[in-house]
Amino acid sequence: MSTKHSKAAGKFLENKGLAAWHDETLWMVRAKRDKVSKEVPEWEHLRDMASAIKMYSNSHLEQLLMEFEKNALANGAHVYWAKDADEYCSIVYNILKGHQVKHFIKSKSMLAEECGLNEFLENKGIEVVESDLGERILQLMHKRPSHIVLPAIHVKKEEIGELFVREMGTEPGNNDQTYLTHAARKNLRRKFIEAEAAMTGANFAVASTGECVVCTNEGNADMGTSQPKLQITAFGMEKIVPDRDALGVFTRLLARSGTGQPITTYTSHYRKPRKGGELHIIIVDNGRSRILADQEHVKTLNCLRCGACMNTCPVYRRSGGYSYTYFIPGPIGINLGMLKAPLHYYDNVSACSLCYSCQNVCPAKVNLADQIYHWRQQLHTLGVASSSKKLMSGGMKFLMSRPALFNFALKNAPIVNSLPRGMIYNDLNDWGKEREIPEFAKESFNEMWKKNKVK
Amino acid sequence: MSSREDILQSIRRNTRVRYEKPDLSGLEHEALTYEDKLSKFCEILKQVGGQAVILKDKENVNDMIKAAYPEAKRIASTIKEIKTGNTIQPITCSTFHPDDVENSGDLDGTDVAIVDGRIGVCENGAVWLTQDVEQRAVYFISEALVIILDRNNLVNNMHEAYKQIDTGEYGYGVFISGPSKTADIEQALVMGAHGARSVTVILI
Repeated sequence: MSTKHSKAAGKFLENKGLAAWHDETLWMVRAKRDKVSKEVPEWEHLRDMASAIKMYSNSHLEQLLMEFEKNALANGAHVYWAKDADEYCSIVYNILKGHQVKHFIKSKSMLAEECGLNEFLENKGIEVVESDLGERILQLMHKRPSHIVLPAIHVKKEEIGELFVREMGTEPGNNDQTYLTHAARKNLRRKFIEAEAAMTGANFAVASTGECVVCTNEGNADMGTSQPKLQITAFGMEKIVPDRDALGVFTRLLARSGTGQPITTYTSHYRKPRKGGELHIIIVDNGRSRILADQEHVKTLNCLRCGACMNTCPVYRRSGGYSYTYFIPGPIGINLGMLKAPLHYYDNVSACSLCYSCQNVCPAKVNLADQIYHWRQQLHTLGVASSSKKLMSGGMKFLMSRPALFNFALKNAPIVNSLPRGMIYNDLNDWGKEREIPEFAKESFNEMWKKNKVK
Repeated sequence: MSSREDILQSIRRNTRVRYEKPDLSGLEHEALTYEDKLSKFCEILKQVGGQAVILKDKENVNDMIKAAYPEAKRIASTIKEIKTGNTIQPITCSTFHPDDVENSGDLDGTDVAIVDGRIGVCENGAVWLTQDVEQRAVYFISEALVIILDRNNLVNNMHEAYKQIDTGEYGYGVFISGPSKTADIEQALVMGAHGARSVTVILI
């Protein structure tokens, strides 16, 4: 019955201290989200409108993307369309090659992760530097993000301290967060200034103005794009919004949901290339247009990538991002993985207790838990349902459709309470793994009811 | 067929239910407003790690900046003067204009940048800047940022802000809410990740 997720989660939980810290810290972020969202009385109305704008824009993609393209071209930008990850990587590479770029500075982009951009460029001899602090730490450690907004949430400061001694020449043993952050500031400042091109993703692309909007706390997107004069911005096509009024809705929701801030420190609007510079914009499909036809899952395209569903998820908090087999973890990652390749990523659908918390905090009302439930119903059709679970639910069905047998079994169930542990907790009983079986009551509710014991 | 055509065709083929564009006027009408915008803005800016100071009658803005950043040596300013009521105060504490440098990287080592804020947003302490010099790096690269903002240009929320702004001739604009920050190392909040370590908004 164990999935890849549950096995990896078991490993994560072996380090009890880190696991407890991970759980508590993300819960603290969730609590901050609750606090700031309650300061906005119209919060639920905002969520409704955010969802409605996304439902509108994702059902008018052709019109809005063409409007965006027209305006971006008029602003002096170059616009490209990439069908898939390979095409996206090639477009970026060709722009860099055409300008003899050797040093390339990037701000955080989940699209670049999705498409494997860094590996692609590094194999072609281009130095790629991540500039978001968490992403930079992971890049130097040769690791992947474990959370989409807090990428290095699973790494302890002692490991970062040791890494920075090697990479940035910091004092050995000084693991103070302020000291380490400022060491990285100094180190990356040279990288910003030396780079010949900078790249960002986009949180929003505005059709009516042809501008791309990027939200950061560190200011790394702006440090990058204000140094080299060559800027590349790429976005998945569901990032399109109709106009600036829509930005009024999303900028109020994004940071409040993700990190519990009233807004990110920087909300940057890139409309034109800099004087004497170039702005290249890549619109990426990579499977998104296919999702439009899937009525059960089309709302995944509403996602703002705020990370709120991860922070609130009891399974994510207690198992860590690396336990999931898709590069985006948590509730949204479970669904995006299944849309990408169900036979490859089905292990993740069990990483959910169907508590529905994700669905209730999502700022754009992605029906995350409904979708996970729906995927679970598909496991049999996909031929990957767990055989032991099927056997057990088959047995339960047999028992429950025979009242006499059911009552007999229930009456005798308390015998289990006094059996030796070895007879209950063994390889034959999957339900006894990693959990304690509850004690069976001496009397069932049915019996108590009949004896008039229930008041 | 080009990728553009392929993608547009795939969108056409796969789009199912078409939803109408929602009317946001109800939400915009209902959105948070504040009785005392000035004090709310100051309060929220403090919460996000910045500070707001109100320039009083007859107070000199240069003295105020020098008092806030006494150690500053390289001070860039994008503005020549400020208007308060009927009087004009020239900015005399700055040592250079950001466009005087040859390369944007030469701005590294700027201690303070004095810039012009267009709109302040009370619900989140953000100030809208429209690029008004060639080297927009000045907004991010200096150690401290001083934003001059007319107190009459405070709005309640982001809906109101977006009705009033534009990115201007340079085609770039940014909302800045307090100093640059990160919590990427064990969720400990540290000011000064890449941008300004300190942000002071002077309300005139």
